Formats: sequence, C-alpha cells, structure tokens
Amino acid sequence: MEDHHIEGKDSWIKRGWWLILLIIASFLAPTVLSEFYLSVLCEALVMSLMALSFNFLFGYMGQLSFGQAAFYGLGGYTVAMLLTKAHFNFWLSIVAAVLVAALVGLVVGIFCVRLRGIYFAILTLAFGQLIFTIVFKWHNFTGGDDGIQGVFPPELLKSPIAYYYFILLVFLVSAFILWKIIHSPFGHTVVAMRENSERTEFLGIHIAKYQLIAFVIAAAFCGLAGAIWVPFYRSVAPSYLTWIKSGEPVMAAILGGPPIFLGPILGMFVMTFFHAWVLGFTVYWPVVMGALILAIIFFLPGGILGFAQEKVRQRKERNHQLQKK
Amino acid sequence: MLLETQEISKEFGKLRAVSRVSLGISKGDIHAIIGPNGAGKSTYFNLITGYHRATSGRVLFKGKEITGLPAYRRCRLGITRSFQITSIYPKLTVYESVLMALLSQRKVTLTFFSPAKKFFREEVWGILEDVGLADQASTLGDSISHGDKKRLELAVTLGTEPELLLLDEPTCGMSLEETEVIMGLIKKLSVERGLTILFTEHDMSVVFGIARRISVLHQGALIADGSPEEVRASEEVQKVYLGGST
Repeated sequence: MEDHHIEGKDSWIKRGWWLILLIIASFLAPTVLSEFYLSVLCEALVMSLMALSFNFLFGYMGQLSFGQAAFYGLGGYTVAMLLTKAHFNFWLSIVAAVLVAALVGLVVGIFCVRLRGIYFAILTLAFGQLIFTIVFKWHNFTGGDDGIQGVFPPELLKSPIAYYYFILLVFLVSAFILWKIIHSPFGHTVVAMRENSERTEFLGIHIAKYQLIAFVIAAAFCGLAGAIWVPFYRSVAPSYLTWIKSGEPVMAAILGGPPIFLGPILGMFVMTFFHAWVLGFTVYWPVVMGALILAIIFFLPGGILGFAQEKVRQRKERNHQLQKK
Repeated sequence: MLLETQEISKEFGKLRAVSRVSLGISKGDIHAIIGPNGAGKSTYFNLITGYHRATSGRVLFKGKEITGLPAYRRCRLGITRSFQITSIYPKLTVYESVLMALLSQRKVTLTFFSPAKKFFREEVWGILEDVGLADQASTLGDSISHGDKKRLELAVTLGTEPELLLLDEPTCGMSLEETEVIMGLIKKLSVERGLTILFTEHDMSVVFGIARRISVLHQGALIADGSPEEVRASEEVQKVYLGGST
C-alpha cells in the first residue's frame, strides 16, 4: 500500500514559503512601521488570536459563540487586578488569566454545549452580557465603568517594540498550538461533529463532552488574548466584555473565510488596519466598515480566502478533467 | 445470542410502534427484519442502537443489559448502524470519513498534538479496498454517486470494527446493479470479518437472497421468525404481508 499518498511531503516548502516570508516580515516590522502602526499591528495580532480561538468553535465545530468577549475581558481583568491590586508577578498573572478564562468557560460551556445553532449563539450571548454586567456593576471590586488604569508590564517589556515581540511570540505559539489541535484526532472529531453530529455520535463519540472541551480551549485562548493586550494598553474597561466586542471575531471570520485556518486572521487584519486608516479622515468609520463588509459578503461569498480557495479548487478540477480527456 | 430483546416496546404518545418484541440474534448470522410500511422496523432498530429509549422491556448485548445506554456507548460496545437516508460526511473526503470511525473506535480522539492523518493508514486503506472505494479516497463525500455513498457509509461503520452491524434499508434508492453489488459486499463482509448483520429491507428478492433468518413485524408485533423457507410458508405472513399487495 506504499503507493497511497494523500499529499506529497516534498511540497511543504513549496507550499509554505509565503508563510515563512510573512513571519520574517512580522519580525522586521518594527524597523519600518511608525509607532502608531506598530500599535495597530499589536492590536491586530491580539484580536487575531481571539478570532482564531473563536473560529475554532465557529469554522471548525460549526457553533457560533456570541460571548467570546467575556473570556477576553476576564483575561484582561484578571491580569489588571493581579498586577495593580496584588502586585503579582507578570508572567504568573498571564497564566492565572488563562486559567480564570478556562474555568469560567467550563462553567458557561456546561450549560451551552447542550444547545445547537441559534440557541447556542443566544445563550453564549446571554452569558457574555451577564459577565459584563457583573464586571460593570461591581464597582468596589472591578472599578465599574472606570475600569482599571496603570497596568504596566515588567521593565523588560516596557518599550512598545519589546512588547510587540512579546505579543508576536505569544500569537505565533498560540496559533501553532491551535493549528496542531485542529489537525489532531481531536480536531478531526470536532470537524466531523460539524459535518454530521448524528453520524459521529453513532461512531461512539460523546458529542457534548467534545464540544465542552473545545469550548474551554477557545475560552482559554480568548483569555490569553485579553491578558496580553491589557498591559500593552495600560488599562482595561468593561467595554472589553460587551457583545460588540464579541461581534468582532465573528465579522473577522466571515470576512476572511471561516473554514480556513488563516481566514479569521486575514479578516481581523483587514478590519483593524482599515479601522485605523479610516479613522484618519472620518469618525463615521462604522459606516465605511459596514460598506466594506457588505461588499465582501456580496462579491466574495465564503470570505476573502474562502472565495480564493474555491476559485483555485475550480481551476484544479477543470485542469484535472482536461487531463482526463 | 449476541443480541437479545426481551418484551421490548416503544410508545409514541398513544401509538404503540413496537409491541413486546422478543427476539434473539445469533452471532455470525445475517438476519433480516421485514414488514409492511409502518410495521415498526425502524423503531425496533432505533431501540437497539440507542436512538430511542424503550418504553418497557430490555435489550441485552452479549448477555449484558444495554437498555438505558446512550448511542455512543452502545457503539463502543460493538453495535454500529447505517441509516435509511444515507448519513455521511459531505465535506470530508472518503478517506477522512473512514479515518474518523477508526479514531473513535481505537480511542485516540482525545489526542491533541499529533496529526490525525498519521493514524491507522493501513486499516483505512484496508477498509477502502474491501468496499471498493480506494480509488476515490480523496474525493469529498458529497461528490460521489448515490451507490458509492451507501458504500461509504458501510465503510465508515466498518471503521468502528463492530460485532453487530445494523443496516437500515441498505439498498434504498439504488439501481438493480448497485443493489447486487452492495448485497454481495455485505455477504462477503459477514464471512470475512465475522460480522453479525441485522438489516431491514423492502426488496424481497434481496431479503430472500441473503438472509439466513427472517423476522416479520406487523403493526409493531413479531408475527413470524425463522428460516426464509419457514417464513415464506407461514400463512400469517402471507396473509398480512406477502399477499397483502394483491
């Protein structure tokens, strides 16, 4: 059975060269970008991490979570409170933030994974808003609508460039881990559940359990994204937990193409940089953003990368058929 | 007895779909469940696979009670099914679909960091060759022909390495040729893999062609059970079923 190969190994470098170039470029970015655009790039990377973890649920498991901002915000708040109130170690604070997000994800997940489709979306939205309200109202503990200011990273990461590299590394490692998970037997099971959950259950899979694990993983990475963003921005506010924030990864995934790993990253980069650029000449950026999203949904169904992939596939199929003739 | 149902019943509101059916399936048998539309065949199937819970009665598999177990646990014990309306993975390739079954069966689905494609290559190719889908391994599930989809579903169920395979109308919607191919395949698998097969079927030529034992359901109750000859000779069966169409 040696002749059976699904894909050749030798083509790895051929297929991956652009990715290597992108990573090299991102390491060189601080030498060319202004401080303003460097901070935009930081935001794009952090939000991309959030979008990737969201898309693990949306694009791969087929469940739309509309409450991911709660985990993002919880990560941010955990770091902010540990650093400013308890003067905790920076690195341990980040770890704690991930654990808090994962734990809350576990509790919320237990309730949500029983549901599917729109009901799942609404329940995650409700939990998200619940957590937002607690943070917003509990003034003594969280600072309420004032948020928390003066969240500083350690000396080593004080400069924007140093912090950029920190964000970049966390992003690359997290993206790699998520990529590995998606292509692992666990990821394969998650995709199979999306494709046909009944069939998968009748292959011996306890659907709710796998959905819960995926939900916790996504919550943990969302928490990590929030945790590394807050010390860069030096503050955290309840707006981080609102449903509007939860909508950002949704839009990014739809713009980029949900079934594709890099889709939400591209979507988030387009959104973040477009936002920064449009703000330069109008405060009505939601109008411009709305128009962009409409245009992409109308003209590039399946998202930017989804559309491109479909075109490539069609061309391949045509060539294949021509060869057969 | 590999599988036994004891006085099993299922009610949907006031409708009694399956009524006190006691039946044993012996190991290695090819056993058909027949009956007119609405006789309760599919419901009976669903009670065995855990799709529905029985209202009363017991289901035993290898002597152990499984009446209350959820579907995924029954599958792990060795009971797998196909569906009347072919149930496959439309956007997974043929290879990936069979792989899914093996990943589940061999309990590696909680592996997070090694690539899924490295697992069980030989086993997946073995199954694909057995059912004749090896040349379509990298085609998506929804791009193959109807007959091949049935075959794919069969391949996926084989991936769970079942002892008892339940096939709900395995030739439903197939052409005559496709039907013959699939029935030949089922026969072959039963012999080569030592599978016990329980199936429902509309097409009487198929049933009498391969079944070694036939049970007849009518209005939810078991009215006959025996070898094809015995069932064919049964007056009651002729009355309610075989002669019912004339």
